[in-house]
This record gives sequence, C-alpha cells and structure tokens, in this order.
Amino acid sequence: MKTLIIGLGNPILGDDAVGWKVAQQVAQRIEGYQNIEVDFLSLGGLSLMERMTGFKRVILIDAIYTRQQPVGTLTAFPLSVLPDPTTGHTTAAHDTSLRTALSVGRSMDIPLPDDDNVQVVAIEAKNVHDFSEKLSPLVAAAVPRAVETVMKLLA
Amino acid sequence: MERITIDPITRLEGHGKIEIFLDKEGNVANTYFQVPQLRGFERFCVGRQVEEVPLLTNRICGVCPEAHHMAGAKAVDAVYHVDPPRTAKMLRELLYSAFYVTDHTTHFYALAGPDFVMGPDAPVAERNILGIIHKVGLEIGGKVLQCRKYGHTVIEMIGGRKVHPCTSIPGGLTKGITKEQRDEILEMGKWAVEFGHFSLKLFNDIVLGNKAYVDLILGDIYTHRTYYMGMVDENNKINFYDGKVRVVGPDGKEFVKYAPKEYADNIAEHVEPWTYLKFPYLKKVGWKGFVDGPDSGVYMATPLSRLNAADGMATPLAQEEYDKFYKTLGGKPVHQRLATHWARLIELLYAAERWVELASDKEIASDNFRTIPTETPTEGVGIVEAPRGTLTHHYWTDERGVTKQVNLIVGTTNNYAPISMSINKAASSLIKKGTVVTEGLLNMVEMAFRAYDPCLSCATHSLPGQMPLEVTIKDHEGNPVKVLKQFLE
Repeated sequence: MKTLIIGLGNPILGDDAVGWKVAQQVAQRIEGYQNIEVDFLSLGGLSLMERMTGFKRVILIDAIYTRQQPVGTLTAFPLSVLPDPTTGHTTAAHDTSLRTALSVGRSMDIPLPDDDNVQVVAIEAKNVHDFSEKLSPLVAAAVPRAVETVMKLLA
Repeated sequence: MERITIDPITRLEGHGKIEIFLDKEGNVANTYFQVPQLRGFERFCVGRQVEEVPLLTNRICGVCPEAHHMAGAKAVDAVYHVDPPRTAKMLRELLYSAFYVTDHTTHFYALAGPDFVMGPDAPVAERNILGIIHKVGLEIGGKVLQCRKYGHTVIEMIGGRKVHPCTSIPGGLTKGITKEQRDEILEMGKWAVEFGHFSLKLFNDIVLGNKAYVDLILGDIYTHRTYYMGMVDENNKINFYDGKVRVVGPDGKEFVKYAPKEYADNIAEHVEPWTYLKFPYLKKVGWKGFVDGPDSGVYMATPLSRLNAADGMATPLAQEEYDKFYKTLGGKPVHQRLATHWARLIELLYAAERWVELASDKEIASDNFRTIPTETPTEGVGIVEAPRGTLTHHYWTDERGVTKQVNLIVGTTNNYAPISMSINKAASSLIKKGTVVTEGLLNMVEMAFRAYDPCLSCATHSLPGQMPLEVTIKDHEGNPVKVLKQFLE
C-alpha cells in the first residue's frame, strides 16, 4: 500500500518538534522500503490534505497537548475517531480541519486515504509555547516507543 | 460582575480565551480576549548569523511563513546596507503576490465566505467550505484547489520550497527563474486574474444582491471609527512588498507616512495586566483605552485598512473594484469591519494582476538576482504587508553579522485592540440584562474576529485542527454563571 509518513510540527517550538524527531528515526529504519515516503511538515488543513494526494495510507506523527494525560503518553488512533469540528463553527484561525479538508478533496475526486487509513501517532507534549530546539525529557523518552509504534503500523 | 470565558483546551493552530464580565444589571461591563503568546522567539534568534533569521522567522507562524520570510529578507538587506537588484525585488514580490492570492482565497472560501454564502443564520453544520461547495457547486471547490496549487507552485519555483521559502539572502536571492518558468508563471497568473474576477462576481451576486447582508455589513455592531494603516508606493497606491507605511485618521486624511526605519517613532505598545500580548498604538496620538475616534491611538491594519490608507490600487481591474467599493459603501473611509471581506477580494484581484505584471516584465528571468553585500552589518528594519496586517522585523547585529537583538511587530498584533473592541461590541449587543443569546453569541463573536483574519498564537499547525473557544460569563462578583464551549469533546 502506498504510504506517506509525516512528521508534523514546528521544529523550533520545543516539544512540537517531536513528530519530526520520530519521523527522522523512522526514515533511517525504512531505508530501502518500497512505496513508503517520509516528509517533515508544519502544515494543517487543506495544505496537509494536498500533500496526501495519491497515497492510500498516511501515518501522522505529532505532538498533542490535551493536559489530560501524563507528559510523554503515547497514543495511536485513526483520524476518524477525532471529532470533526469544522462542521460547526470556526475551527482554525486560517484553515479548515484536516477531516473537512479531506472531505473537500474527495468530493473533487482527488485520490486520498480514507479517514480510517490516516493513522495518528501522538505524544503528549509539555512545552509547545517556548521556542527551543530541545524536547523536554519525558517527551524525548517517548521517541523510541513512538518509532516502534510506527514500525508496527507499517508491518 | 458576571463573567464569560472562551478558553483553549488543546494546542492548536490558534486559540483564544474570551472572558466577559457583566455589571449588576447583567449588561456587559468588560470583555477580555486573551491569546496564549508563543514565547522566547527573540531570544532564540540571538547569537545566530542574521541571514539565518528569515529561515527561522518563517517558522513562527503556520499561516503566513512567506510574509515572515519577506520581512526578514528585507530586514537583512537593511542590516547589510545592500539594495537588491531590480530582478530580485520583482521575484520576491512575484512570489509574494502568488502567496497573497492563495492566502486570501483560503480565507474567503474556507472561513469568511460561509457566513455570507450560506448566511449567518444557516445551521452551523453547513457553514463551512463543504457547505459552499454543496450550495454553489463542485466547480467552486475545484477552482479553490486549483488556485492554491498554482500559488504554491510559484512559491516553490521562486522560494525553493512550498510554504516555507528559503531563497532570500542578503542582497537578493540564491537563484532566479528560467524563461520557461516565467512563461508557466505568467499563464498561471492569467488564470488567477480570472479567478479573482469570479470571486468578486460571486460576492457581488450573493452578498451585495441580498439587502439583508448589505444591512449586516453596514450595521453598527461591527463599526469602529479608528485610524487605518497600510503600505503604499510612491503614488500612494497599495503595495504589499515595498514602500512606506501610511496611516490615515478616522476622517480618511493622511496622519503620517513613515519609512520602515522610522517605525519606532510612530508605534508604541501598550501593556495590559490580563494578557501577555501587547497592544500597538500610534505613539503621537497616545493610548486612551479601547475606544474609537481621532483622540485614540488605536489603529487597524487589515485589507480594509489598506484600502482606506491608500489612494487607490496600482492595477486597473482592482482599481475599478476599489471605486465600486467606496461608491457602494458611501465613500472613504469605510469603518464597517465586515466590509473587510470584500476588501480582501479586491486585494486578491490586485495581487493576481500584479502577478501577471511582474511575470511579464522583460527582466524577470534575468540572471542579475543578487548584489553581493560589501558593508559591515549593523541593524536594519524590514516591513511588508502580511495579509493580516503590517509586519515589522527589526534586527541588530555585531560587526560579524551575529544577531544581538530582534524585535517583531506581527500582523495580527496590530489589530489586537480593534479585535477586542469588536468582540466587546458583539457581546454587548447580545447580552442584555443577564439574558445571553448563547448560539448567537458564539457566532457573532466569531464573525467579529474572523473579519480580521487573525493568526492568533502563530503556532504552525493543528491537530485535530480546531479552534476551541470557551466563553465564561461571570456576574458582577466574579462568579461564573455560564460557560459556553465548542469543540471540547
């Protein structure tokens, strides 16, 4: 299955860089794999959807900031389980939600993965407001587990 | 005092918290719009080679990295006291024009448009880009995506990367474009001009053709008589990339026109104890609080303010639309904030025309795209118009070009006071004697700040991609009496 792995986040915004760090290690592990691409993005909504064009499956690796679980907690879930807030009020300062963007793309007959085939690997972050190139310790400690999670999803 | 709060729950593209305090009678006493500011960027930049900073600044914001890259590039030119060749300036402006077309398109069709095309009273589930596609037709979705594709293609051709350009260096660019690329860019630009026309026609048919919508735009609820800021060329026509910053008063007359390096003489920042974000105001008028009028230093920097601050548009088709805009809305300046959506579409058409103009220039594919700096670096200011407001970057370096200090005034920050005032006015109209119109409140508050197209905290992306709001209403003693939430499940 043609698969795109995306490390998502801001590489200079503390724990927000964790998606990039995990994706960098995954990229090393999958050298030589067929039909798998890795990318590093700071995008959401329509732009993120546009990058997914032509892929059957996407793995998004990202920081998440719920403050409802311990820092460093690793979760994996399909995009389809997230609420799609854009079917209501304003949901992003300058974009639409990824799920709505994917719906828009599909209605235009753009080949895109189903929401069930967009797997999110999320790491609970601590610092996403202070500019820094360092991950906080508990988030850094979650990186190897996140890499293994992605590898299992690929298996 | 009764209090209403809109609070961020998850980390997202931008999130706001709004608190509304009521007086004893249950009417709005105060509103507070808080934005969690990203911290430490200036410190992060210190000690780096200054030419690296435009690559870092485009990571401040996921909405307008191109604007930060351009303001940074111009500041670095100034630091090195180098004037890029004409071709380099044109290429940067060409990239920037394509970015503007893309950015304004996204805002109108994904955010602002739904309120009007679907109607402010349409069910919330339909008020989004999918709703527009269902109502107007599949063709419109295809055009929007095509427009974005063309814009991103031009940005990548000139900027080296999509979204986060990386080719601007002191004195110009790392590369030029080929004649083949120029031809391709020109064709895409012609398509963008047609798309700009199409968008204005859509606005004309659906919004201006409906008296209820025109009344909504012209109503008092979103009207503020403030100063207006925008960059202009030597003929006082709008320019997004270069020129002087012009400010007109509530009466529409020029108050000041300043060169980028004079910004600190003209803009000061007010601090409030309830928010980390500062409120820029006109230094020579002074901070008088969140109030309208010629005695208040509050100013606005948006598409509407740029139209108000200029004498016209530098391209013919956009000028026709400019004339129609003021004729329809009763002359200059226009104070009604919802007219910003119309102004944004006129800017979209201008940017598309400018795209074609620049791509048609004989020198655009020249190899003369860089002047090598020879002066010792010191300090410099770069200003561009970001889609959501005047963007100022100021860098200081040592003699090696290592950054000592960085100061930024970002687009949305200019509008922090006006946004707060609009939210207050919207809330005041919907909360009377303790009666709160809950659904209406959220919608009207959203419409208030959506007109400004704010990028809020300038985070770079969103998962799951929502802007949660929690509105807390508190009584005159500070006890929460009602909390309105959205998308917090």
